Amino acid sequence: MTPATDLVTRTASTPFEFKAAAHLLFIEREQARNLAELRDALLSCSEDSIFQHTFRTLEEHHFIKEGFSNDFAHWASSELGVIGLGERLASLDVREFTSLSSLRSRLIQLVEDFLARNPNVREQTAENPFYFCSSKTVVLPVQTRARDLAEFIDGLKQVSVHSIHYHFIEARLRRKLETNDFSLWLQKELGLSQAASQLDRIDIYTSTLEGVKRKIVQILQDTTD
Amino acid sequence: MEDSRSIPPQPDITGQSQADVPSPRERRKPRIPEVPPLAPPPAQLADYEAIIGKSQLDELRFLASVLRGKTVKMVNSTAVGGGVAEMLNRLVPLLGELEIKTGWEVITGGNDFFEITKAFHNALHGGEYALTEQARDVFMRHTEQNRQRMNFDEDFIVIHDPQPAGLIASKTDRSSRWIWRCHIDLSNPNTEVWNFLQPMVERYDAAVFSSPAFARQLSIPQVLFYPCIDPLSEKNKELEESYIREVCDNFGVDRSRPIVTQISRFDRLKDPVGVIQACKMAKKYVDFQLVLAGGSASDDPEGAIVLREVMEAADEDPDIIILDLPPWSALEINALQRASTIIVQKSLKEGFGLTVTEGLWKGKPIIASAVGGIPTQVIDKLTGTLVHSVEGCAYQIRYLLMHPELGLQLGRNGREHVKENFLMTTNVRRWLLLFRLLSEGLNPAPL
Repeated sequence: MTPATDLVTRTASTPFEFKAAAHLLFIEREQARNLAELRDALLSCSEDSIFQHTFRTLEEHHFIKEGFSNDFAHWASSELGVIGLGERLASLDVREFTSLSSLRSRLIQLVEDFLARNPNVREQTAENPFYFCSSKTVVLPVQTRARDLAEFIDGLKQVSVHSIHYHFIEARLRRKLETNDFSLWLQKELGLSQAASQLDRIDIYTSTLEGVKRKIVQILQDTTD
Repeated sequence: MEDSRSIPPQPDITGQSQADVPSPRERRKPRIPEVPPLAPPPAQLADYEAIIGKSQLDELRFLASVLRGKTVKMVNSTAVGGGVAEMLNRLVPLLGELEIKTGWEVITGGNDFFEITKAFHNALHGGEYALTEQARDVFMRHTEQNRQRMNFDEDFIVIHDPQPAGLIASKTDRSSRWIWRCHIDLSNPNTEVWNFLQPMVERYDAAVFSSPAFARQLSIPQVLFYPCIDPLSEKNKELEESYIREVCDNFGVDRSRPIVTQISRFDRLKDPVGVIQACKMAKKYVDFQLVLAGGSASDDPEGAIVLREVMEAADEDPDIIILDLPPWSALEINALQRASTIIVQKSLKEGFGLTVTEGLWKGKPIIASAVGGIPTQVIDKLTGTLVHSVEGCAYQIRYLLMHPELGLQLGRNGREHVKENFLMTTNVRRWLLLFRLLSEGLNPAPL
């Protein structure tokens, strides 16, 4: 077994290049005033829309520690008043999905199941419709790179929450893996398997993104102690 | 970078110290300058680092670096007054600092043209209007004159609002990208006027709206840019505590007691009388002062009528402070917002509601009606409280005054919401992204 001190001083053969993503919001054609329309729109909307209202909205509201999960859940609860569906939609953890098509299927399934059990809410109308939007992403090369753990921790402290979201949350869609860029690099390049799996257990829904960043730094600093 | 601020302790809501408080009559004659003060020099890009952090400012510079050397022309219908001119006054120099040469031109026209465009503006908001052949001719004649006078050699041409929309006739097949930035609500337009404008709008490469609810179904891509505030403007910059105190003393506002404030012009759609009714209900249970501050009463006949209605509803109550302020009162309004315990915006109808954005930015708990763009800003119970009635407003005033810790939490979240989504720097970021994506045919590299 490799001594822990060797791992924390190890130099990576491929440095970690920090990046961030910037998103531009587009207004789409789909709108929903009731659950039947929401189900239809979920079927027809683009994957960019699914991304916007789940992954991306989490970034837009990164400062909220509790009570906000995704736009569909928020609209179902606050505009339609269907709290039960709102709770189920809110319990979706985007990190369990490595493709937007599987996330779309799950959203549709939750709405259809609720409609089947509660046919009376089918035509219940919201005062404010759900407007489908989508986002287009531009990846930004942040001029921060790391070759070892110390540089990696320094880099994490410097980069914005947009960079954390890009590497820690959006990465799943890019890599089609249930993990994140940080864990993959720490495991592959520095052999820090335990720290890598600890990062994957951070709860992003009960913390702000700044809080997530602090937890990542804390886990890695504990590794060096 | 985390934004850290100290939040002053909240006053005791049961306190009744009213010593040295001027009478209502004295309060209604605040000492404010009779002429506009000189505008301060505009902030530079680097000045925003203290607010958004170095990493986010660097991201703006990276985004701009790809566009370096590109040129932009902004066109609107007025150089001074109004939110669009105010926004362009900040946006144009900031893009210039990012080495994207940005010009700004204003269309010209006679009284006949601007009377028609004002009628168009009202009609696009849903007002009744019969579009005549003569009105079309006047609109097209002035559009043609402006087209002949201006050239459009820049890489990106941004046309603001309907007045100059017809300039799109100058679009050729060359590489310029044309963007229509619509700042008004098109959710329920007069059909005749919209049918006249729509073919022009659909020749643009993209249209930008302030809310999905304000947009139309169009054949071109539609982009969402939320309106924004400048955190370094007179209206929003940090103020010395001594200045806030001076303004409150000047206006007869007692800072030892809670202050509930609504900032808005005296307009029935802002429901100032409803705010007074809500406060009278709430005052049966909690002690506070109400400040209603706004303007437009002197040069707007309807505003003067509404102001009289508000004074009557206040009925000489010493705890209702009504301030009719001139348009150059940005610093005073900033101070009043910062002195407030709660900020209310009980509008019956609203555009985006930038006074709500201002209040959120100052870390204040907001109680606001769920109309227009307000629900985008006030996420109920997370960044503020949404209400639907006078009674609901009264209850939330009581609740937040009795639970100041909740107010602090809402205020903190609200400020972060603005920082992420509704600041001038976010707007610069959106423009850079749009220019870049249009350059790439709206097909960025996949994730």
